[in-house]
Amino acid sequence: MAGNAVPSPSRVRVRMYQVGFGDCFLLTFEYAVPLHDGRDQRNILVDLGSTRKPPSGTDTADVARLIAQHCAGNLDVLVVSHRHKDHLSGFGTKESKAIIDGLAPKLTVRPWTEDPTAAADAREGNPVGDESRAFVRGLREGQTFAETLARSLGSAQGRGLRADLKSLALDEVSNADAVAQLDQWASTGAASYVCFGSPTRIEEFVPGIRVRALGPPTLEQHPGIARQRVDDPDEFWMLYRRLLDEMPLAPVFADGVRAEEGQATSGGALGPERWLIERLSGQQLASYLRIVRILDDVLNNSSIILVIDAGTQRLLLPGDAQIENWEYALRLAPEAPEARQLLSEVDLYKVGHHGSRNATPRSLFKLWTDGGAVDRPMTAMMSTLSGVHGDTEATHVPRATLVGALRERMALHSTEELSEDEEFVEMQASTTSSDPFKRT
Amino acid sequence: MAYIDRFVEEARAVPRRTFPMTIVAQDPAVRDNAGRILMAEVDVSADRLAPGPWSHRFHVIDYDASRRTLRQPKPLQGEVSDDIVLSDPDFHAQNVYAIALRTLGAFESALGRRVPWSFAGHVLYLVPHALADANAYYSDDDRALLFGYFPASSGRAIYTCLSHDIVAHETTHALLDGLRRRFQEPGLPDQPAFHEAFADIVALLSVFSVPSVVEHLLGEPDASGRIAEDRVTERALEQSALIGLAEEMGEEVHSERGKALRRSIEVEPSDRWRTDPAFLPAHRRGEVLVAAVMRTFLRMWRDRLRALIHGGGLDRARAAEEGAKSADHLLKIAIRSVDYLPPVEFEFEDFLDAMLVSDTELAPQDEHGYRDALRVAFELFGVLQPQGRTIDLSTERARPLYRHLHFGSLRTDRDEVFRFIWENADLLGIDTSYYTTVESVRPATRVGPDGFIVSESVADYVQILEGTAAELAPRDLVVPSGVGGSTPIQLFGGGTLVFDEFGGAKLHQRKPIMDMDRQSRRLAYLTEGGMRDTRGRLGFSLGTPLGQRFAEFHRPDTRSGEDW
Repeated sequence: MAGNAVPSPSRVRVRMYQVGFGDCFLLTFEYAVPLHDGRDQRNILVDLGSTRKPPSGTDTADVARLIAQHCAGNLDVLVVSHRHKDHLSGFGTKESKAIIDGLAPKLTVRPWTEDPTAAADAREGNPVGDESRAFVRGLREGQTFAETLARSLGSAQGRGLRADLKSLALDEVSNADAVAQLDQWASTGAASYVCFGSPTRIEEFVPGIRVRALGPPTLEQHPGIARQRVDDPDEFWMLYRRLLDEMPLAPVFADGVRAEEGQATSGGALGPERWLIERLSGQQLASYLRIVRILDDVLNNSSIILVIDAGTQRLLLPGDAQIENWEYALRLAPEAPEARQLLSEVDLYKVGHHGSRNATPRSLFKLWTDGGAVDRPMTAMMSTLSGVHGDTEATHVPRATLVGALRERMALHSTEELSEDEEFVEMQASTTSSDPFKRT
Repeated sequence: MAYIDRFVEEARAVPRRTFPMTIVAQDPAVRDNAGRILMAEVDVSADRLAPGPWSHRFHVIDYDASRRTLRQPKPLQGEVSDDIVLSDPDFHAQNVYAIALRTLGAFESALGRRVPWSFAGHVLYLVPHALADANAYYSDDDRALLFGYFPASSGRAIYTCLSHDIVAHETTHALLDGLRRRFQEPGLPDQPAFHEAFADIVALLSVFSVPSVVEHLLGEPDASGRIAEDRVTERALEQSALIGLAEEMGEEVHSERGKALRRSIEVEPSDRWRTDPAFLPAHRRGEVLVAAVMRTFLRMWRDRLRALIHGGGLDRARAAEEGAKSADHLLKIAIRSVDYLPPVEFEFEDFLDAMLVSDTELAPQDEHGYRDALRVAFELFGVLQPQGRTIDLSTERARPLYRHLHFGSLRTDRDEVFRFIWENADLLGIDTSYYTTVESVRPATRVGPDGFIVSESVADYVQILEGTAAELAPRDLVVPSGVGGSTPIQLFGGGTLVFDEFGGAKLHQRKPIMDMDRQSRRLAYLTEGGMRDTRGRLGFSLGTPLGQRFAEFHRPDTRSGEDW
C-alpha cells in the first residue's frame, strides 16, 4: 500500500439469512490485498432476531453458526438497528449469543435511544437534549407497560383480540437479556450511538468505506418521532402501567364501585348498565391495542438508517424506520436535499420493516422512479414471512402493492423464496465497477 | 348557572319545552378575563330525567372500563366552581348530556322531525369516563359515545367529555350514522372523509353558535364595549376566531384536532386534493370541506357585520351575536342537506348540491347571499354543483304515474314508495333489474317561504349488484391489475326521492348503479387501499372490527400519501 492511502474493498457481499420473521444481514467487505492484521475481509452484522421461525425450523443459534463460518471467526462491527425482538432476540438467547460473543465484535452500533446515559443528565458532546432524554425515559416506561400488559393477559393464545394484543405486547418488551449482552459488548469493545448526521465510527473498523446515518433523528432534531405528547411521555406510559399494576385499583372517583372478577358490577346492576359494561371490556382491549401500536411505531422509528458507500456501490439499510423517522432525512433536515441526492443513487436496498406498508415511503420510492433514475439498476433484499402480521390485505406484511412495485422497479430477493434447504440469500458486487449486484 | 339538581321532574301545570343547562363553552383551558373556565348556558329540551342523567334519547352511564368501576350518579348541589367543573363526575355527566342533547336538538330543529339512531333502540349511551385513553369515539356496535381521559403534565386528569367540540363531534357521527347508515359501506374516498368533515363542521358551528365563545375570541372591547373595525375584516376574523379556536382546541386533549382545523383554514384553495395522494386519508381529505364551509361562515359573518360598523368600530356583543347567528344559520343549512344526500356513493359535489337544493326549497330567494357564498367557497376547491344529479320532477315534461298508489302511504310506507319506483322506473332512470330496496321514508317538516308549515317526506333507495370482476368487466367496469377475474365485487347505486305534502314526487337525487366511470374510480380506490374483506372480496366491507370504525386515533399526517 503506497504511503498512507486507505485500503478500499474490491468486493462487497451481502448475506440475508433465513430467520423467519426477523432480520439478519452480514455485510462482508473483501480486500484484494490483506490489511495490516493479515485479514482480507471485514464483516458487519446487522441485526439477529426473529419472532417466528421459518418453516424449516431454523433458529437463531443455527444462523449464528453460519455467521461464524462466513465471517471466519471475526466480527468487526455489530449494528443493532433498534430494540424490537425480531432484530435482536439472537443476542439474548443463550446459544446464539455465546456464538456471537466468540466472534468478539469490536464495535457495537445502536441508535441514540440505546445509549445507557441517554436518560441521564446532559453531558458534554452528547447531542441528546432534555426532550430526547424525556422521550427515552418514556420509552423505557412504555416497554415496562408492554411487559406488564403481556403478563396480565395470561395465557391468551391463538386468534382473537386478547391473543393479538398479547403477541404485539410481547414484541415490544425490552428484551433485557439481549440488551444486557449488547451493553457488555459495547463496554468491552467500542460503541457508538447514532442519530441523524452523527458519526458511526464504522469506518475506523472497516477501512475504505463511507457510512452515513440518516436516522433516527433526536427529539430536538424532529419532535415528530414521538407519537404521544412530548411533554409528558413519562406520565403517558406510567398511567397505563399503573392501571395494570394496581389491581384492584382505587376508583378514579371515590364513590365508584369496583366490579369483582367475573361480575359485571359488584352492585349486581341489571338492565342497560349490565349490557354496556359487559361489552366495554372489548373496547378496553382495543384501546390497549391502539396504545401498544403507538409503542410499536415509536420503537420502529428509533431505527438506524444507514447509507454505506463501498467504492461504486451504495447500500441502504433502514431497519424498520417508518415515515416519521424518514421524513427528517427526506424533507425536514437542513441537509435534506443532499440526503435525497444520496438516496436517489442506491444500488442495494434492504426493504424496510419486512415489506410493510409504511416503511418504504412513497416519496423515497419516487427517488428511484422519477426521471432518469428509473434506468439505474437496483437490487432489493427483503427478509419477511407472510401470515405473521396483518389480518387484512391493507395491513398484511409484506404488503402486496409494495412488493409489486419493488419487483417492477428492481430485482427483489426475498427470504420467502428460499426452499427449506436454503439458509440464506447471497448477493455480491464489485466495488470498482458499476455492475449491479448478482446473486451467488 | 343552571344544573340538574334533581332527576325526576315534578309535574307542572304548564310543562316547559326547554330548560337551561350550563356547559363548558369550549374547553377547560379557555378562560374568561377573571381566569375562570369559560362557561355558557344553553337551552335543551325538557324531559323526564332518571338518574344519569337518563332521558328518552340519552343515558349517561358512568362506567370506567380501564378501572372496571361503575359510579352511581347524583344531581349537582350548590355552587359549581372551576374545581367542580374539572373534577366532579356529576358535572361531567351533565356536561356531556347537555352538549349531546343540544346537538340532537339542532338536527331535529333543522330536519323538523325526530332523528333515529342507526341501531334498533332509542337510547344512545354516553360514557363520560369510559377509558384511560386520549381518545373519544362513537361505537355503533355498543350504541355508545365513549369518552376517554388521561393525565396532563400538570398532574390533573384531562377529560375529553369536557371538550365541547369533541362531544358535539362524536354526537354528530352517531346522528349521521342514523341518517346515512350506508356511509360506512366501502365507497369513494369522499365518503369516509365526509363523516369526519361533517362532524367537524357541526362541532365548530356549534361552538361558534355560543355568543360567549365568540365574544371571547373577538378579544377585549374598550370601555364602551366596542371593538375596532379592523378586528372584523375577513382576514382578522379568520385569525382571531378560527385560528384562535384552533390554537385552543386540543391544547391539552388532542393536538391533532387543533392542527387539523388550522390546516383547514390555511389550506391553499385548489383542486389538487383530487389527485394528491396526501389527501386520500379521510381526515385530511375532509379538511377540504371544512375549509370551504368555514370560509362560507366567515363571509356570512362579515356580510352581517357591515351594517353594524360606524365610527370605525362596532359593538362587540352585537358582533358576537351576528357571528353566532351566522353559525347557526349555516349549521341548519348543513344539517338540512343530509336529507338530500344520496344514501350511498357519496362525493363532495353531493354535499354542495344538497345544501343548495335544500336551501332553495326553504328560501327560494337567496336574499342574504348564503347560497352564493357557498358556491364561491366550494368553487375555490374545484367543487361545483353537479348538473343533472338532482332532477326537479315538477319541471320534467313527462310526469310520474300514480296509478294504484295511495298518496298518504307514499309519505310513510316503504312498500308504497317502492311501488312508485316500480311504476315509474323508466322516467326515473332506475333499472329495476338490479336489486332495489327502499331503505327509509321519513317526514321532513319545515316552515315554507310563506310562513306556512310544509310537511314533505324523503325516501332513500339503494341498488346492489354483485358479480365477479370477469362478469363486470364487459359492462365497462375497469378492473385494476392485480384483481383476479374471479374476485367477487359489490356495486352500489341509489338515490333520494322527495315527496311534497300531497305525496307528489318533487325531486330525485340519484347515483346510477351502472355509472361505470364512478364504479371504476371506486374500485381503483378500494384496490389500491387493500380494502378487501376477510374473504378477499371488494366492495362488501371495509374489514374494520365492529365498534372500532371511528375509534382510530388521528393518524399522523406524515403518513398521508406515503403508505402503500
